Amino acid sequence: MNLARTFGKIAAFFMRDFAIARGYRGALLLETLEALFGVATFYYLSRFVESPELTRALPTGSSYFAFALVGFAFFDYLSVSLTAFDTSIEEARQNRTLEALLVTQTPLPVILAGSAVYPFTALALRTCVYLAWGALLFDFTPRSANWAGAVAILLASILAFVGLGVMSAGYSILFKRGNPAKWIVLGVSSLVGGIMYPISVLPRWLRFLARLIPVTYSLEGMRAALLGGAGWGQLWPSIAALLVFAAILIPLSFAVFAWAVRRTKVTGTLTHI
Amino acid sequence: MSMPAISVESLEKYFPPARSGWRALLQPLARPTERALAGISFSVQPGEAVAIVGSNGAGKSTLLRILATLILPTRGRASIAEYDVERHPSRARYQLGYHTGGDEGFYTRLSVRENLGFFAAMNNMSRAEAQARLALTAERMGIARDLDRQVRTLSTGMTHRVGLARALLHQPTVLLLDEPTRSLDPLAAADFRRLLKDDLVREHGTTLLFASHTLSEVEQIADRVLLLEAGRITAFDSPRRLCAASRAATLEDAITHLASHPARAQSQL
Repeated sequence: MNLARTFGKIAAFFMRDFAIARGYRGALLLETLEALFGVATFYYLSRFVESPELTRALPTGSSYFAFALVGFAFFDYLSVSLTAFDTSIEEARQNRTLEALLVTQTPLPVILAGSAVYPFTALALRTCVYLAWGALLFDFTPRSANWAGAVAILLASILAFVGLGVMSAGYSILFKRGNPAKWIVLGVSSLVGGIMYPISVLPRWLRFLARLIPVTYSLEGMRAALLGGAGWGQLWPSIAALLVFAAILIPLSFAVFAWAVRRTKVTGTLTHI
Repeated sequence: MSMPAISVESLEKYFPPARSGWRALLQPLARPTERALAGISFSVQPGEAVAIVGSNGAGKSTLLRILATLILPTRGRASIAEYDVERHPSRARYQLGYHTGGDEGFYTRLSVRENLGFFAAMNNMSRAEAQARLALTAERMGIARDLDRQVRTLSTGMTHRVGLARALLHQPTVLLLDEPTRSLDPLAAADFRRLLKDDLVREHGTTLLFASHTLSEVEQIADRVLLLEAGRITAFDSPRRLCAASRAATLEDAITHLASHPARAQSQL
């Protein structure tokens, strides 16, 4: 085999993909910003682990592991809510089934919702597996958990997150790639939402920002229900906050989505890759 | 005269101009200024087969995609049966099947049966209804023995048949095809054309509107030919009358003549 020719082909592949990536300048910029969020997250984690705030922040009797496990497991609901809708459209575009779907008698919002069912089901199973492994092997002991309260928090969280996901899908339909809605929400939420550290370690302005995003209320409520065994009275503020987010975001997101679909039908780019 | 199966009145379509570099970021919001269709009007009667012919960029696919409710017209009106494709897209879609020659839009790891079953469900068919229709349609399309094969194992010709089966499963009255034999070998294409003309149009009375670059195909299938150039209709008549009007021996000669003498062609509209 001619090694030089093989390397030449590999270089050609690289140049092709680099040229494609260069075409999506907005996406490149946003990926850079996403890295910043990741670095900041680990910075605050390190501050928390070394500080006496640890014991004060944890629900009585729980460990940092239990705190982080709930954070990781339920943050996935935000991730999946934000990615499931636009991923389904992107996959349908890539495998060319989108056009075939769009000429059926199923409207796009239904196609969108239907495509999200499996990811949410798989996620529910994954969450159970996370918690089961934690309970079986790593001393995660939610003995006093309010399971009904946890389910209520979860449902309210999904409602709140879905609005963000549909809005994100609207952006993807219109601009195809480099979805800032997804990256900004996931980036800000992972930084200030309290996944790996309580929001009390954050500076005041970031604590204020934390109160403006649904994942903060979702994780607070979930930890209170699973780790603190909180009653309905204690969980209600989190549930109410999540329902307010849902009431604002769901109608807004569907309006944005409908506008984006109409716009792409004007420009003729709905099924473009 | 009965109500047209397809009716197009003063239809115009403009697209935003293509942009590159940073300006491409705003492309989805740009004003549509590039004309694709220039106020065309025509109608197709039920059970009629009409071919759309024209050079690349003439507006053939744009017209079909508007009728399929995939894109919106800028001005004018298009309807399938009595349903306006912009105001009642769902009702219009109920009447139509749409298939493109390059159509490989299937879930390739699923079987033909699973794919068609899924799209039947998307067209509001119950499982029992879908199974019954699937058996009949598969028989008509010659894919009955391949229903349990994964789509990825099918030949191009067979995939086309599955695509057409998908478009026909809910028994549409109007079939829109965009270059239906584009990637088929000559034998498969001939087979496919017979299927369209003999089975769908003659036997079942399906209205057919198809875009094609293959003039022998047009001559074989179409009752009338719609010649589209730069978004305008330059001729619309039967192949025989187009040949007679341009004193050409073949449809290819007639189309070439009419495309190069648009003014003369216009007078025949």
